[in-house]
Amino acid sequence: MLLFALRRSGLACAIIFCAIALLFGMIYIVPGDPASVALGPLATPEIKAAFRAQMGLDKPITTQFALFLSHVFTGDLGIDLFSNRRVTDIVFEALPYTIALASCGIGWAIALGVPLGCWSAMRRDSWLDRITGVLAVAAIAVPSFVVALYALLLFAVELNWLPAIGAGERGDLGDQLAHLVLPSFAIGLGWVGYLARLVRASMLEVLGENHIRTARAYGLPERRIVFRYALRLAVLPTVALLGVGIANLLSGAVFAEIVFARPGAGKLVFDAVVTRNFPVVSGAVLVTTALFALCTLAADLLIAWLDPRVRASL
Amino acid sequence: MRRLHVTRRQVIGGAASLWVSAALAPRAASAQGTSVLRVRSYGDIQDFDPAFSKAAPDGDVARCVFRQLITYKSGNSWEWTLDAAAEIKQVDPKTVSFTLKPGIKWSGGFGEMTADDVKYSFERIANPATKSPYKGDWETLDQVEVTGPLSGVIHLKEAFAPLWLSTLPWNAGIILCKKAMEASNNRFTTNPPATCGAYLLKEWQPKQQTILVRNPDYNGPKPAYDEIRIRPIEDEKTAEIGFEAKELDFTGTSVSSLPKLKSSPPAGSKVEVHPSLAYVWLGMNVDVPPFNDIKLRRAVQKAVDVDAILQAAYFGVAERATGIIAPGLLGHRDIKPAPRDVEGAKKLMAESGKSGVKATLAILNKTERLSAAQVIQANLAEIGIEVQIDAHDSGTFWSLGDASKGDQWKQLHMVLQRYTMAPDPSWAVEWFVPEQIGVWNWERWNSTEFGELNKKALVETDTKKRGEMYVRMQDLMEESGAYVFITHEVAGVIYRDTVAPALMPDGRVILPGFAARA
Repeated sequence: MLLFALRRSGLACAIIFCAIALLFGMIYIVPGDPASVALGPLATPEIKAAFRAQMGLDKPITTQFALFLSHVFTGDLGIDLFSNRRVTDIVFEALPYTIALASCGIGWAIALGVPLGCWSAMRRDSWLDRITGVLAVAAIAVPSFVVALYALLLFAVELNWLPAIGAGERGDLGDQLAHLVLPSFAIGLGWVGYLARLVRASMLEVLGENHIRTARAYGLPERRIVFRYALRLAVLPTVALLGVGIANLLSGAVFAEIVFARPGAGKLVFDAVVTRNFPVVSGAVLVTTALFALCTLAADLLIAWLDPRVRASL
Repeated sequence: MRRLHVTRRQVIGGAASLWVSAALAPRAASAQGTSVLRVRSYGDIQDFDPAFSKAAPDGDVARCVFRQLITYKSGNSWEWTLDAAAEIKQVDPKTVSFTLKPGIKWSGGFGEMTADDVKYSFERIANPATKSPYKGDWETLDQVEVTGPLSGVIHLKEAFAPLWLSTLPWNAGIILCKKAMEASNNRFTTNPPATCGAYLLKEWQPKQQTILVRNPDYNGPKPAYDEIRIRPIEDEKTAEIGFEAKELDFTGTSVSSLPKLKSSPPAGSKVEVHPSLAYVWLGMNVDVPPFNDIKLRRAVQKAVDVDAILQAAYFGVAERATGIIAPGLLGHRDIKPAPRDVEGAKKLMAESGKSGVKATLAILNKTERLSAAQVIQANLAEIGIEVQIDAHDSGTFWSLGDASKGDQWKQLHMVLQRYTMAPDPSWAVEWFVPEQIGVWNWERWNSTEFGELNKKALVETDTKKRGEMYVRMQDLMEESGAYVFITHEVAGVIYRDTVAPALMPDGRVILPGFAARA
């Protein structure tokens, strides 16, 4: 198990390195001058040149990349071109909001998708199963931003049940949670559909296996068979998907951060790319890539922990 | 030692219950005994050091926490009123004397504001060593002479007409605490070492909100609100939803929402439309084919249907521009723009001897620009010019005409541009002088007369003469054929009817002046 964890960690490091190298190449290929954007139209060419030198933007790309990597090992991700603040501070201020949003989005998916999938599998080919199937596909098909806008108009504007914008008052957990409900639902709804279909398919496979037939022969209640014995196995592919899902939502949450005016890593990277704020782009992508790798690694380890067969094969 | 034993089921169950409790948590009650004004800003603060401020949101906060000798009056005309100055007067074109109000206290125990602070603040921006992009605001400053603890004289090397409307009441006129700044290595970004304005910066939550609280030591008129919360919301539609959900008291609106909001505003709210100072134009690069031919440029001027652009891109709420200087400002061209003339345009095309002309039109990837570009594309197709629209993100767009970035400017045929400005005409014209060719003069139009007029107008103190100079400069722009003036846009605002906003004529906020309406 330890060897497995080490092997996967090494792979995660390689992924992070490749992502950053690729990103560094891309941000210097695209046109646009960070000095012009940061200093505005009134800056003279001399002021812009001084700014580029101060930020190290006048150095060759390979030197900048090497400097970036050497600073990363000391926990220094650079300085924001606009506010002169440490990129590390900026990224770690934004990241918790995105992690909370992505986690709650996946929370919706688990809370609704897993029971729906089980329910469909238990009533295979019934009209309820078919309706659930249609709803699940519809949830996948409807664009998340459409869900976001209608949810906002209904629950925030019309009914005034939930807040519309922002992330809630700092230090007020209840307010922050209330601000998470709509955006997390908007980003999680598509995953409800995915999980419902995946769990249903896995459940049907598992429900046809011998040990389930044996359990039925012993007269165990169907609910117990499904939730205690079948779901345990059927949920394994779901765990792998959730690892990717949560990592995917970390970057995919950007639309929710814009529509709901929430701070977050996705919006941070988007803004930084648009303004050619290279230090913030590099720093934020490094951290989110690391998080992505960590999520997939955690999913692998969780599967190994949940499934004795996988553990035994390591 | 007992070993903590956690089963898989407990982990899964715990996680699920935590999530459910999170989702079902009651909405926070806003139990506050203070009067709070919640306003939207289009961006977060980044750096409100007046020598380096990045955008309007920085200035909005700076004007709350600092003071200036004079500040803008709210209302429909660009006028100033005394702020930190008890008295200020133009002694002669090159000399301005001032006396500060006594008892203006700096936070952090830095004592009273003195004339030394004024000297430090203005000379700091003018000093080339500071490398301030706003050095031009104090272009002709010689020195600030301190004549007493609270009095001083601003000496200019030569007269400077924009002083009263776009230097002293704008960011370059903000006064900093010399002692506090020197103790902070002469620089801050979002954490000023000492402030003195109507409000104090209580907390900045990046990308979330800036919280200002009333300054108990402020000796000016007491601000109406105990607290101001400024929320950075980039998307105007999101801000409108936030307003409708009663989470904002004041916000700017999108142009596309204005017709609906004006005809049926949300209950308990008011909508206002202000003329903006921005200017939008279609520019043609005179240094590269096909628009190095003036007949072709004139043909474009005649062919573009500006009224159709205003309908398509600005929903009929914006007026047609006659130049780059907005109505209400000195130098505005009070003329009736020529109507569209397709036949005249075709005739000019024929005279130019060109056919099958292909050209690119560069735009910023914003909805209204794309709509405007599509109208232009259709208009020019009628006279035989095939236009390809190139939409760019802001990072790319703003370097398209920059000659220091290589030869990409040679690919630039037409560009749909929008600039904004402070309320002095010098801000509008300075980008089109010959020295700006390849910097911000992307049309690369080179007029010596224009450049000379710009220099003269900066030091002309006779308002009438100065106004005539700016009118002439816009005439020259139009005669060059390189410009099609489109609009100055509008700025829509919406606010609760319990709020009495203090706004500049173009709809920009003067937050300390906001009042509560009974």
